[in-house]
Amino acid sequence: MSFLEVFQYTRQDSIMHRLDPRSKLVLSIVCAAVSMMFMEIIPLLMVFICLLPMIAAAKSLGRWAKSMKGLGALLVFVLVFNTLLSPAENPLSYSLSLAIRLVALMTSFSLFFLTVQPDQLSQALIQMRVKFEFAFAMSMAMRYVPTLGQEAYAIMDAQRARGVELDKGNLIKRIRNIIPIIVPLIIVSIRRALSIAESMESRGFGASENRTYMEMLRFGKRDWAVALSSLLILILVIYVRFFVGLPGWMLWGLPF
Amino acid sequence: MALIEFADFSFKYLGADSLALKRIKLTIDEGEYVVITGPSGCGKTTFCRAINALVPQFHRGYVAGNVYTDGKNTRENEVATFASVAGLVFQNPENQLVTLDVEKEIAFGPENLGVAPDEIRRRVEELIDLLDLEELREKHPHEMSGGEQQRVAIAATLALRPKVLVADEPTSNLDPTSAEVILEIIAHLNKRGMAVVLVEHRLDLVAKDASRIILMNKGRIVADGNPREILAMDLCEEIGVGVPKATQVYKRLKTRGVELRNVPLTGVELAELVQEATSR
Repeated sequence: MSFLEVFQYTRQDSIMHRLDPRSKLVLSIVCAAVSMMFMEIIPLLMVFICLLPMIAAAKSLGRWAKSMKGLGALLVFVLVFNTLLSPAENPLSYSLSLAIRLVALMTSFSLFFLTVQPDQLSQALIQMRVKFEFAFAMSMAMRYVPTLGQEAYAIMDAQRARGVELDKGNLIKRIRNIIPIIVPLIIVSIRRALSIAESMESRGFGASENRTYMEMLRFGKRDWAVALSSLLILILVIYVRFFVGLPGWMLWGLPF
Repeated sequence: MALIEFADFSFKYLGADSLALKRIKLTIDEGEYVVITGPSGCGKTTFCRAINALVPQFHRGYVAGNVYTDGKNTRENEVATFASVAGLVFQNPENQLVTLDVEKEIAFGPENLGVAPDEIRRRVEELIDLLDLEELREKHPHEMSGGEQQRVAIAATLALRPKVLVADEPTSNLDPTSAEVILEIIAHLNKRGMAVVLVEHRLDLVAKDASRIILMNKGRIVADGNPREILAMDLCEEIGVGVPKATQVYKRLKTRGVELRNVPLTGVELAELVQEATSR
């Protein structure tokens, strides 16, 4: 699952990281939308080539490349099966563009998730008038993922020590083996939740109607520039794609 | 007016068979350093929770009597009202860190109470400095050791500027070295004038700093007073309280007919007293 790493926030100091999450949301949705609009190899490649410098601006090319390597098997799978099974006229050309599109889509979204800290995301949501409790619940869920994972491993070890054979038997047996893991995990989590709630309550959670925030996100000039130019590009692409039509050389595809 | 006053307070958790606290009656004043100890299940945790109204507001059950913290009745006011009076630190540091970095964690409490952003920023910087959290500033809670987490949890509690720090076994999940660091911080805070209520088993580490020790057993307060008086009592061994090594030696010497002038709490004190007794 190493290809999922490209969706995980990494602490860095880069131009991309410093942008407001909201402008990055616009940017990454526009990139994704543009790559969804084409089925031809050349325009998709162009989108892809535009995305690369942005990943570089986030100082995350290495991480991105690693994830793409992890994605390799899936890409080969897409290529082979689509070529063999697709009813399209030029199946190889078609599946090649599908593969490029997948990479472009993943890269577009990774632009957002690589550079936005979950806390920032919830702050952005709050400033977009989502209720604080809701946004905070989301960032807390992120906060406790590693803790829960650790707990799950501890329980697995404990059950193994008691003789539960977790990785033996047929599929049904293996699914039934999940029960001695999941039941204690749920109980432990409920207990933990109570203890967390106690601590939050003691620190005045939900006390004041007028909650303040130490740091508000500021939508600066650079953010306006990014958001507006993304939207402009989107409009332009929609216009060309649906009203003008692509120039002939862009429609080029493999002959088979 | 006392900072904390228990007036014949009793409490039984919903669904429990017996009372967790039985007719507790005591007052704690500003500037005190109170250590509470006793066997597990004796009501120490419930006592702490009663100070900031978690009992009976968050944990419900049967209540009799009253607790007044900073003059306000805990039965009539919400937990949040006490957030800036009594700061609670709990056993498990992991469960007290709810955000993704240190600055946000410290800011969480004051933000909840609607403190102005500039003031929050000031408190964050002050506490990072006071508790030496500079190198943890941008760390995820998951990347910190238990002792570091607990330090952040204390900072987050102090950000609300409480008058009393209530710490419920803050060191029980920590290794000895981190435990000592945490206890040193607590003693330091007390020296700066903050009242402290600390539940702790390792009396050899805290008895020397405490101004008062309270022994609890089965929901009752069985002894309350000066650390030297309390630890010299045989009651400690009877209910299974870990008396400091130096005090144990004092007691053993006493049964053999050697009486020291005072009750020692640390090895250094013991050495001095023994020297004094032998040179006489």
